[in-house]
Amino acid sequence: MRRPALDAAVSFEAVSKWFRRKDRLVHALSRVSLDVRQSEFVSLIGPSGCGKSTMLRLAGGLLEPDRGSVVVNNQSPAEARRQKRYGFVPQHPALLPWRTVRRNVSLLSDVNRRQENPGMSTDDQLAMLDDIGLTPFLDSLPRELSGGLQQRVSIARAFALGAPVLLMDEPFSALDEITRADMRYLLLHLWGQIGSTVLFVTHSIPEAVVLSDRVAVLGSRPGRITQVIDVSLPRPRHAEVEDSDDYHHVLAEVRAALRQGWSG
Amino acid sequence: MPRRPVRRAALLVAPFAGLTAFFVGWEIYVVVRNLRPLTLPLPSDVIVHVVENPGFYSRNGLVTIQEAFWGFWIAFFAALFVATWMAHSQFVERATMPVIVLMQSTPVAVLVPIFLLWFGFSPWPKILTAMLFAWVPFVANALIGLRSIDSETHELLRSVNASRWEIYWRLRIPHSLPYLFAAGRICVGLALVGAVVGEFFNSREGLGNAARVAQSRLLVEQLWGSVFVLAFIGVAFVLLLIAVERRVLRWHASQGGDHRGL
Repeated sequence: MRRPALDAAVSFEAVSKWFRRKDRLVHALSRVSLDVRQSEFVSLIGPSGCGKSTMLRLAGGLLEPDRGSVVVNNQSPAEARRQKRYGFVPQHPALLPWRTVRRNVSLLSDVNRRQENPGMSTDDQLAMLDDIGLTPFLDSLPRELSGGLQQRVSIARAFALGAPVLLMDEPFSALDEITRADMRYLLLHLWGQIGSTVLFVTHSIPEAVVLSDRVAVLGSRPGRITQVIDVSLPRPRHAEVEDSDDYHHVLAEVRAALRQGWSG
Repeated sequence: MPRRPVRRAALLVAPFAGLTAFFVGWEIYVVVRNLRPLTLPLPSDVIVHVVENPGFYSRNGLVTIQEAFWGFWIAFFAALFVATWMAHSQFVERATMPVIVLMQSTPVAVLVPIFLLWFGFSPWPKILTAMLFAWVPFVANALIGLRSIDSETHELLRSVNASRWEIYWRLRIPHSLPYLFAAGRICVGLALVGAVVGEFFNSREGLGNAARVAQSRLLVEQLWGSVFVLAFIGVAFVLLLIAVERRVLRWHASQGGDHRGL
């Protein structure tokens, strides 16, 4: 039996998951093991239906594994969820349309107040919003914002909670390529200041390489990790990193791993 | 954009222009066809009659408004309560749906004599009739509003262990407001209809009673006067509701002013 790394923030131990679809069982994940270290940025990449989002929901305690276990900072995911240890960024911004930007950012702190709020103070939240260019929109409603700005608010909301683990489910997939590239570096900027552990689901190889310390490549039917690739690009990373040979080398490595997982 | 204020003014004037055209057309039709008042009175005569009898119409109008008001709000809260249970439990939904369909299919007017047996000459038969008229649209819309929340927002709130109660207050209720306001616009009229139907059966006051008495005594101006005042009350309350809706649903796409893509 594999032992989780001592400094693991999120640890998957031989996790399997099945879903019932009509009358048949779909094997979503098969014996997945992965340790994500404290303050590490790990991307999960793979074809559609390979179980990336399922892994994210298992880590967040939104789903239960059928076999194996998931441990988050020495706690069960359900307990970590109770203690508001997650900042969740869904695929779409999921902003409450009746709340202003300011109140959307504080939403996760406002909910479940029985738990001592580990989040940022209001002043720190305002400073962060200023840092990422949202100050002119503090009292705007979501429908008054562009898609890029809405996703910016969604990311700020996750960081404002001050959670040690961030779970991001293809947060940039609905954005145009220019905004998307911009958002990568915004995310790196915020993460560099807070240093949470990040589990990031994506379909984009460049995104995974630019953002991550490691990229876990998944194969499908059933979902499994086929390879974990180290991204040893120097930090902090800026747009210039995409012109380097090392970047292109890792990019090719991830692409080859994906192709291998697809064919094997 | 120089044309914008003109367009805005035109939109403001449009409802009044429509109403004026309707009444002027009516007036011309009666004069040209030389119709007897019993067949169709001049609208101007009806309006003059109402203005000359303010005490009669305000006294009876107030009674009908009170019955419709209580019927409307009891229907609203009862519907919200039932829809909340239905939205949270498939069993409750399945158990309740046949009863709602039964109530929807039964002509409410036939229940009024039963209410009279139960409550006599109190306002309750009228209030209950108004409530039953308004109830089904409220339940149907509240259920859709409470149910059709965004799954990702729901998941987001679950990720910080929000309780069912918090999800209800912070997500389901605000999300269902546009549906409830849409139902409210329909139900204002329905509650008034319900109150008047209740008054038709047995009442000594209210605009429904005034119309019934006028019909039996061939008081054409009073009959039409009651209709005019009821229509006026309906329009006034719908406009009031729209004003509240504009304020409360400032965030909703239905209120226009979309500025996406800044």
